[in-house]
Amino acid sequence: MHINQTEDNRVSETHARAVRGAHLNLRGLTKRYGGRTVLDAVNLKIEPGEFVAVVGRSGCGKSTLLRAIAGLERPDAGSVNIGGAGAGAGGGAPEVRMMFQDARLLPWKTVLQNVALGLADGLERSRAALASVGLLDRADDWPAALSGGQRQRVALARALVHEPQLLLLDEPLGALDALTRIEMQGLIESLWTARGFTAVLVTHDVQEAVVLADRILLVEQGRLALDLDVSLARPRARGEAAFAALEGKVLARVLDTRQTS
Amino acid sequence: MRPAAQTLPAAARPAATASIKRLLAPLAPWALPVFLIALWQAASRAGVLSNRILPEPLAVARAFYDLAASGELWTHLRVSLWRAAAGFGLGTALGLALGLLNGGSRRAAILLDTTVQMVRNIPALALIPLVILWFGIDEAAKLFLLSVGVFFPVYLNTFHGIRSVDAGLVEMARSYGLSGWALYRDVILPGALPSILVGVRFSLGLVWVLLIVAETISAQAGIGYMTMNAREFLQTDVVLVGVLLYALLGKAADLAARGLERRFLRWNPAYR
Repeated sequence: MHINQTEDNRVSETHARAVRGAHLNLRGLTKRYGGRTVLDAVNLKIEPGEFVAVVGRSGCGKSTLLRAIAGLERPDAGSVNIGGAGAGAGGGAPEVRMMFQDARLLPWKTVLQNVALGLADGLERSRAALASVGLLDRADDWPAALSGGQRQRVALARALVHEPQLLLLDEPLGALDALTRIEMQGLIESLWTARGFTAVLVTHDVQEAVVLADRILLVEQGRLALDLDVSLARPRARGEAAFAALEGKVLARVLDTRQTS
Repeated sequence: MRPAAQTLPAAARPAATASIKRLLAPLAPWALPVFLIALWQAASRAGVLSNRILPEPLAVARAFYDLAASGELWTHLRVSLWRAAAGFGLGTALGLALGLLNGGSRRAAILLDTTVQMVRNIPALALIPLVILWFGIDEAAKLFLLSVGVFFPVYLNTFHGIRSVDAGLVEMARSYGLSGWALYRDVILPGALPSILVGVRFSLGLVWVLLIVAETISAQAGIGYMTMNAREFLQTDVVLVGVLLYALLGKAADLAARGLERRFLRWNPAYR
């Protein structure tokens, strides 16, 4: 991992972390496809700067929940309220960015142009964002020349260049190999620590949820079935007993869902 | 000394054959045409081929040279090139415009696409009698025939290209604040471009076929006119010059289309 040195330094000053994230409030959020209720009156409050992981078996509605928060799905009932980061927000709508399961880079734009997408004069900031994910030296390459993990890092830089107050991650590491996934988790955690945005991560990987999240939510048949605080100290070592116990507990709960349905 | 003298050529030979191979590699596609021409020349000389059916290659080359020297060739070539360019330009522009409209707007597609698909199934050449009645036999008739023929491949491929742009990319771009013209310029057009260029390439081939027919209907100049005229006077060599010119122009058009693909699709590993 070639994480930028300044980024690394800021990671170590965990206590000096400035929380500039948005808070999120879902009230009675409901979404139906045809006759099927995918989200059933979900209520959820997320504090500014919190890292929340949403787990659940596939088809449980966790991705729909994230897409509804992102405004990509129109809810059939209920509301999504995203608030700015307190005093410094200046009244503008909070920046919300989404990272998709596939990187969704435009293949006809170079890596740097992809990061600068939608910015009028953001080339310098885009370079800085690329540097923070360790890919500045690939700025002028086509996305086709990158590996899967590198593409996701570019997608992460593209989201971060907008300085989001809320970052939504829709299984962004699902298609990566185990080692690259661990590297990416470290990168996401360090950037989150340094920048203080609120993060919502949808994942099917319970270990990933335990590594990254302050809070783990389990979605089951369109409802929140579990809301668990994770109080392990960061960075979290996968081998530790407390870690393993928590992972086992969440996994057992997720698997239990499968038996009852 | 002897071992040294022996190893030197042994080492030099593979290098020499490698460089000869490198020089010959681009010529390989031309080996068959050159061989056929040599065979043709030999057959003419041996009297197997009658001069009236197929004049010897040297006679064709001489006719080519005479036509070029008198300037007649360039007049015809200029007229034909202009016709092809005008017909191709007009047809491509219209096909692109309607393709973009129908690809971008579902409502426009519902209103227009069925009609276009119906008209598409009429071969352009079947319209010749009607075209002569409408436009007479002058340039307007030729322009109409060419642009109608070129229009459909460009339209179809543009329409299809826009419809098949990755919806995930469009969704991503919208969520990053792109809309309207910026969304078209940065996402939809580049995404549709490989397909659009397939249509353009196909049209570039088609325009020569249509031009040949259009120029043999009735014309006062152009390669088609030149060959039809030569037929009247049994100048088989000039007819062959015309046929060869069409082949060369078609090949040049194809090279131009490939150049466009390399230029605009260099991000795509398949075109590098």
